[in-house]
Amino acid sequence: MQKVFNNKMAIFLFVFPGILLFALTFLVPIVLSAYYSFRDTLSPGTPSAFIGFANYTELLFHDSRFWLALRNAVLLGLGFILIQHPIAIFFAIMLDRLGGKAEKWFRTIFFIPCVISVVVISKMWLSLLDPTFGAFNKMLDSLGLGMLKHAWLGDSSTALISMLFILIWAGFGWGLLFYYAGLKGIPDDLYEAASLDGASGFRLHWRITVPLLSPVITVQITLAMITALKQMETVFLTTNGGPGDSTQFLAVYLYNKAFSASQYGYANAISILFIIVCLLATYLSNKLTRSDATEF
Amino acid sequence: MVMNSKSTRNILLVTALAAVSVLSACGGGNDKNNNAGSSTNGGTTGSTDKEVTLRLFSNLPDRKSGQGLAEQMVIDNYIKANPNVKIDIETLAEEPFKNKLKAYMASNEALDVTMVHGGAELNTLVQAGYVKELDPKEYEGDTYKFLPGVYKSFTFNDKLYGLPRNSDYEVIYYNKKLFDDNGIKIPTTYAELLEAGKQFRAKGIEPMSMNGKDLWSFAAFFQDLVVRLTGDQNLMLDAVAKKKNFTGDENFTKAAELLAQARDTKLFQESFMTADYGASQNLFTQGRAAMWYMGSWEAGMATNDKLPEDFRNNVNVLKFPVVEGGKGKDTDLLAWNGGGYSLVSSSKHPEEAKKFFDYMMSADQWAKIVWDTGAAVPAQKYELSGKESELQKQLTEVLTGATSTAGSIALDSGTPKFKDDAQNAFGKFFAGGSTPEQLLADLQKAAETQ
Repeated sequence: MQKVFNNKMAIFLFVFPGILLFALTFLVPIVLSAYYSFRDTLSPGTPSAFIGFANYTELLFHDSRFWLALRNAVLLGLGFILIQHPIAIFFAIMLDRLGGKAEKWFRTIFFIPCVISVVVISKMWLSLLDPTFGAFNKMLDSLGLGMLKHAWLGDSSTALISMLFILIWAGFGWGLLFYYAGLKGIPDDLYEAASLDGASGFRLHWRITVPLLSPVITVQITLAMITALKQMETVFLTTNGGPGDSTQFLAVYLYNKAFSASQYGYANAISILFIIVCLLATYLSNKLTRSDATEF
Repeated sequence: MVMNSKSTRNILLVTALAAVSVLSACGGGNDKNNNAGSSTNGGTTGSTDKEVTLRLFSNLPDRKSGQGLAEQMVIDNYIKANPNVKIDIETLAEEPFKNKLKAYMASNEALDVTMVHGGAELNTLVQAGYVKELDPKEYEGDTYKFLPGVYKSFTFNDKLYGLPRNSDYEVIYYNKKLFDDNGIKIPTTYAELLEAGKQFRAKGIEPMSMNGKDLWSFAAFFQDLVVRLTGDQNLMLDAVAKKKNFTGDENFTKAAELLAQARDTKLFQESFMTADYGASQNLFTQGRAAMWYMGSWEAGMATNDKLPEDFRNNVNVLKFPVVEGGKGKDTDLLAWNGGGYSLVSSSKHPEEAKKFFDYMMSADQWAKIVWDTGAAVPAQKYELSGKESELQKQLTEVLTGATSTAGSIALDSGTPKFKDDAQNAFGKFFAGGSTPEQLLADLQKAAETQ
C-alpha cells in the first residue's frame, strides 16, 4: 500500500478525475462567466462585441436595482444572525432540557420546514398571506386586530418584511439543529459546577453556553451570510423580486437579467460581482468572529 | 484437468457458433432491408419517401384539449398523409419552454420547427441566426388566407422570420351574473368601469382580476388607455421605437393618470401584485371577481367542463371601455399576433421541415382546427361553423368589428431588455411607489437604453 502512494502516477490517477470534474463544473464556468461579462452577448454562442468594463461600470455606478438587491441580501443576513439565531439558540437550550420522548418529538417538529420542498413552502406562504382568503389575515380578524390586515406580499411596504419572515421561518430548523448538536457537546458537569457557584438561568447560559458554542456560532454566521446572498428559490416562486423591486435579491436579479431581459453579458457581470461579494462576506465574517476555541 | 479443458473447448465452440450465426442473421436482415429500401427508392421519385423524423418544439404540453389538441390533430393529419415522416414532439409549459428554447438556441440544437413568441422573444432568436427567413410571397393567396397585418411581430428589418398562429387581442371578460345580482351597470366608459369597481368593492367582491405578478398585463392596459385617448394605434409603438417621447406628451400623461385612478380606486383584486396568470384566472372563474382583463386566447373557458357550470353560462366579453373626451372608439382594438412557428436554421431536414411547416400553416389545418375546437382565434380567415360557443361569437364580433388594430403589443415591440425595464416600471408604479410622471420617465429611460 505504501508503495502505491509513493508512486506519482498512482497519485495522479486517483486525484485527476476529481480535479477534472472540479475544473469542468466549477472553474471553467467561472472563467467563461468572466469572459462573457466583458461582452454584450444575448446568450452564449450569439454574436457579441467586447465592451471592456462597461457592464461593471453600469452595475456599480448606475444600477440602483443591483445595490437594492445587495442591501436586501445584507438585511436578510442580519435577520438570520440577529433574529433567527438567538431564537434558535433559545429553543435549542429548551429542547436540550426537555429530555426523553418529548425532546425527540419537538426536534422532529422544528425540523419539518427544512424537509419540505421550497416550492411547497412558497405556495403555502403565498396562500397563508393572501389578503382575500389567507389564514393570516383571518387570524388577525378573529383576534380583533383587523386594522393590521394587509396584502403582506403584495404591498411594497410589507413585502420585504414578510419575505424575511418566511425565509427566517424556513431556515429555522437548520439553525436549531446546529446549535442543538453544539449544546450536546458541552459537558454537564460544567453547568453543575457553575450552579454550585450560584449561577443560574440566563447568567448560566450567557457565561457558559454562549462562549462554548462560539465555534458553532462562527460557522453559522458565515453560513447565514452566504445563504442570504444566494437566496433565490423562495423569492423567485413567491414574488419574483416584486412588487416593484422591494424583494429583489441578487440571484433572482441575475436570473431575470440573463433569461428575461436577454442581457446575458450583463448577468455574467452580476455573477462575477456576486462571487466577489460572497468571498468578501465569508472572509469578513470569519475575521470578525474568529476567537480562540475555548478549551474544556 | 482433461475434462475441464474439454468442457472449456466445448463452451468456446458453442459460443463461436452462436456468434457466427447471430452475425450472419444480422447480415441477412441487413441485406433484406437494403434490398427493400433500394427497390422502393427505385420505384418512386427521388428521396421523398425516405424515413424522416422531424423535431417539433412547442409550448403546448396539454395534448388532450385546447390548442395542444389542435396542434396534435394537425400533426396526426400530416403523418397520415405522409407515412414516411415521423414527428418527434417536445412540449413544455410556457416558462420552461422559453428557457429551454434559449438553451437550444445557444447550443444550436437541430430542431426543425419551433413555436416562437413574436416580438422581443423572437428578436433574440433572429439576432442569433437561429431561425430561418421566410418569403412572405409564398404565403399569399387562398391556401393560407392570412389576415392583413398579422406579420408585424414576426418581421425584423423588413424580413419575415415566422408565421403567426393566432390573433390575440385584449378584452375584458365579465361575469354577467355578478353584475345582474348586484344591480351594477355593465361599463361602457372608463369612468363607469371605475364606478363599477367601487360598487363591487363595497359589496366585498373583487372588481377586476389581474395577473400583476406577470406585469405584462399592466402594459397592455396602459396601451389600451393610450389608444382610447388618442385613437392612434401607433403612438405607443412609436414611443418605444424612440420616434416619440413618453415624457412631456399630454396624451401619455393623461393615460398614466387614468392608470393611477385604476390603482387608487382599487379596481384590481387585493392581492394582484402576487397573482400570477393561474391565480388571476382562478379568482375569476371561481366567481370571486367580476371581471378579468385578459386576451382572446381564453375563448375555451366557456366550453371547459372543469369550470363551474354557473360560471360558464355567465362569462361574457366586453370591449375595453371608451374614455370620456378621448378620440379613440371602442372598436380600436389592441390586437396583435403573439404566438407562431418558425423554421430552425440548423434543421437536418430543411426540405421536409418546410413541407410540414407549410402544411401546418395552411388555412384548412391549424386555423380551421383551432377555430372549430374553440381553442383560439386564428390569424387566418376562418368561417363560422355554427357550432361556436356564445363566448366565441362575442369574441369574433369584437375582432370583425374592429376598425383599427395595433399589430403589436408595445411591450414586445422593443428588445427583451426594454420589456424587462418597462415591466419593472409598471411594477414600481403599481406597488405604490411612483407617480404617473415617474412612470413615464421610467418608460422613457427604458426606451432610450434598450
